[in-house]
Amino acid sequence: MQRTVDLFYRFLELLLVLLLSGMVVMVFLNVVLRYGFNSGVTVSEELSRYFFVWLTFIGAVVTFREGSHLGIETLVSRLSRKGRITCMILVNVLIMLVSAIFFLGTWKQLPINATMHAPVSGLRMSWVFGVGMFTGGMMFLIAAERLFRIVTGRVTDDEISAFAGEHTIEQLMERGE
Amino acid sequence: MTLVVFVGTLLGSMAIGLPVAFALMFCGVILMSYMGMFNTQIVAQQMISGADTFTLLAIPFFILAGELMNSGGLSKRIINFALTCVGHIRGGLGIVAIISAIIMASLSGSAAADTAALASILIPMMARAGYNVPRSAGLMAAGGIIAPVIPPSLAFIIFGVAANVSITKLFMGGIVPGLLMGLVLVFTWLLVVKKDNIETLPRQPMKVRLRATADAAWALGMPVIILGGIRFGIVTPTEAAVIAAVYALLVGLFVYRELKFSDLYRVILQAAKTTSVVMFLVAAALVSAWLITMANIPAELGSLIEPLIDRPKLLLLVIMALVLVVGTALDLAPTILILSPVLMPIIKEAGIDPVYFGVLFIMNTCIGLITPPVGVVLNVVSSVSKVPLGQVVWGVFPFLLAQILVLILLVLFPGIVLVPLNWLI
Amino acid sequence: AAEFNNRNIRVSNGINEDHPVGDGIRAMQECLDEKSGGKLELTAFWGGALGGDLQATQALRSGVQEAVVTSSSPLVGMIPALGVFDLPFLFKDASEADAVMDGEFGDLINEKLEEAGLINLAYWENGFRNVSNSVRPITKWEDLDGIKMRVMQNNIFLDTFKNLGANATPMSFGEVFSALETHTIDAQENPYVTIDTSKFYEVQDYVSETNHAYTPFLFLFSKPIWDTYTEDEQAALRECAVVGRDVERSVIREANQESLAKIQEEGIEYNTLSDDEYARMLEKSQIIYDKYREQIGGDIVDAVQEQLTEIRG
Ligand code: NA
Ligand code: NA
Repeated sequence: MQRTVDLFYRFLELLLVLLLSGMVVMVFLNVVLRYGFNSGVTVSEELSRYFFVWLTFIGAVVTFREGSHLGIETLVSRLSRKGRITCMILVNVLIMLVSAIFFLGTWKQLPINATMHAPVSGLRMSWVFGVGMFTGGMMFLIAAERLFRIVTGRVTDDEISAFAGEHTIEQLMERGE
Repeated sequence: MTLVVFVGTLLGSMAIGLPVAFALMFCGVILMSYMGMFNTQIVAQQMISGADTFTLLAIPFFILAGELMNSGGLSKRIINFALTCVGHIRGGLGIVAIISAIIMASLSGSAAADTAALASILIPMMARAGYNVPRSAGLMAAGGIIAPVIPPSLAFIIFGVAANVSITKLFMGGIVPGLLMGLVLVFTWLLVVKKDNIETLPRQPMKVRLRATADAAWALGMPVIILGGIRFGIVTPTEAAVIAAVYALLVGLFVYRELKFSDLYRVILQAAKTTSVVMFLVAAALVSAWLITMANIPAELGSLIEPLIDRPKLLLLVIMALVLVVGTALDLAPTILILSPVLMPIIKEAGIDPVYFGVLFIMNTCIGLITPPVGVVLNVVSSVSKVPLGQVVWGVFPFLLAQILVLILLVLFPGIVLVPLNWLI
Repeated sequence: AAEFNNRNIRVSNGINEDHPVGDGIRAMQECLDEKSGGKLELTAFWGGALGGDLQATQALRSGVQEAVVTSSSPLVGMIPALGVFDLPFLFKDASEADAVMDGEFGDLINEKLEEAGLINLAYWENGFRNVSNSVRPITKWEDLDGIKMRVMQNNIFLDTFKNLGANATPMSFGEVFSALETHTIDAQENPYVTIDTSKFYEVQDYVSETNHAYTPFLFLFSKPIWDTYTEDEQAALRECAVVGRDVERSVIREANQESLAKIQEEGIEYNTLSDDEYARMLEKSQIIYDKYREQIGGDIVDAVQEQLTEIRG
């Protein structure tokens, strides 16, 4: 099971690399075409934007699983273990709430987006906006699994200290500040 | 009243450790319920269409360029170049740090990445030469935050999109204040190391200097391409970003040969992940921004500071103090995203130039990166230099003061920003 | 007795409050005050504060926001029939445009909009678009040859100007000024008011009255919300939107003339097209009509041309 899950995230990571590389190639090619040959591929401006949307929302799931979406831990870090666990429960419930709203909202918008086509590529916009269902759904599941482990006492000490603000340098750099 | 609900929800949910992005989404949910217009589609639509903006594409490209610059050996050569030029001066390693920080700032937009690169190379050298290590760490942190002020800058891109201000102009407006930050740091540094017992490095022969310069030339060429390209209108900021990424890639792969094809997957993945962390935050902020506008919160806040509308300088000072306070607890991107929709209508009403305001605002949020309790650059420098956070905070203090002083100077004399800006564009 | 409830109608706009649409909204509000006794209230959000026009229109369709004043062009992906207003050189002058928009053809488009969940209260005016550039006056289509031109993100516009020989590129509006200033691009096309208010005259040398496209503003209302309103409220909104329309149209036409005069005072060289050259441009552009006929809908293209033939007698 764990193997399948890991494999799935490896696949998502591959997607991220392909999406970002694709964006670089498309936008760079257009610059070259415009200055070198006075022409351009109109579709690449649009498609690179959609790649960007997919990159953002698929990547948000991967980074959420890794715990890279950081917050303010000043208060939490001063709490006892019990206090930290209480906050963790609350936080995961809130994440489940907003993720569910994100999922439902995207789902409700699908019919509207399905009738809308991208101006240049003609792509159905439900393909672009639909990614919200993936992100909302996945985040909900990840938070639910965490919540389950917390209330059944299976949460690790590492997770608790990460929650209280002890981050790796990689996580700090990923904030892009 | 809506203002209270907004601030209360945001602070409350962040206090229990909810990540900022989710706190902003939650804030949106509470605001729309409070306004009696709860609709799940608001969240979905604002989040996704907010990310669908071509201008924001500059973000992943500049992040990728920064990653490639560090992995490709560009940062190292910049520092080496500065080292051979001024390393022999008394207190020289600190000046090396500032000069390197300024050059790196004109290649990258990330304060955290620049600080890490500077600290990992220079702090061990400074420790050996007898410098006070926490103070040196503080200097790296204060130098690192120049990165988002001098273009290219993710912060300006995010602000430009959030506040609908020309990114090209913001970029040009950041140059002089960024240089000024560096200059003031040099003076402060020379002042504080006066009494320290430090070794100076031997003066390098001309031959060594020339070789280091030639070696760094490829890296030094990058800012010329980025800024020149944007300034002379050859490219838009998004295109400049992609060119910077491709340039750093080629130099790292074929000129410096420090980047292996086998590293590429990791580097691109890292940039992609950083992008999605930043962008998810931007998307979440757009939900609450939309509701802030719907709820007319800017007008609510505007009526609070109405008496200051006719005194733009005082208004600006008050706003800068507010941003400084917010910045103690929040880092750069969240501060920009949360405050822009609230402040911009007031700035416009007071007749303050939005580009000038943007430059000051970004500089102020950058200062927030080195103010405790929450300052990501402090954490970065602490973990790279192995100096405890408390000591870094102490070490950064004089430089923090100096930079706040620069900020006040810019509020009092707008010409420092505006005159060169008009000259540059 | 007339049935009115307290309604806060949030209207978003991509443009600023000082645009003639602001005058239209004020006139509409006065009319609504009178009819509803102050119960129907418009709250306008300017300058894209609530997001872009497309985004706002989506919000209307899902019943999240009440109304938007938007150009037809951004909505073509949603309602292909609106592409008809992007067709080059469709209307020759304002009186033709008014007759078509307020007549049967306007109703036909309204039906299409309603199918997409949007009620169009009235056709306001964005106006005729004209070309400004920094290279030479455009007196015939050949003058566009090789000119780097910003157009909206819209295939018909792109193809129209490519077909006329320009090097057309899409670019977001916010970047246009600096791109013109730094000569990333040479030219752009917009109504005179936009050229004036966005200060494009500071960085351009020529303005040519090409009238190559007429864009209406649609005053769209969310159908899901509309259906919850009483008949009286609906009727008041429709009638007052027409009152607002008339004010907006007359102000924008006056403003266009004032802007043109101001642009000229600023030292911009101004020229018009001769009737012959206008005809040559239209003829050269027929290929665009053919190419997009199917996408817009043959019935739509035929309907507008029939009505135009009728008017032109
Ligand atoms: Na920078
Ligand atoms: Na801080």
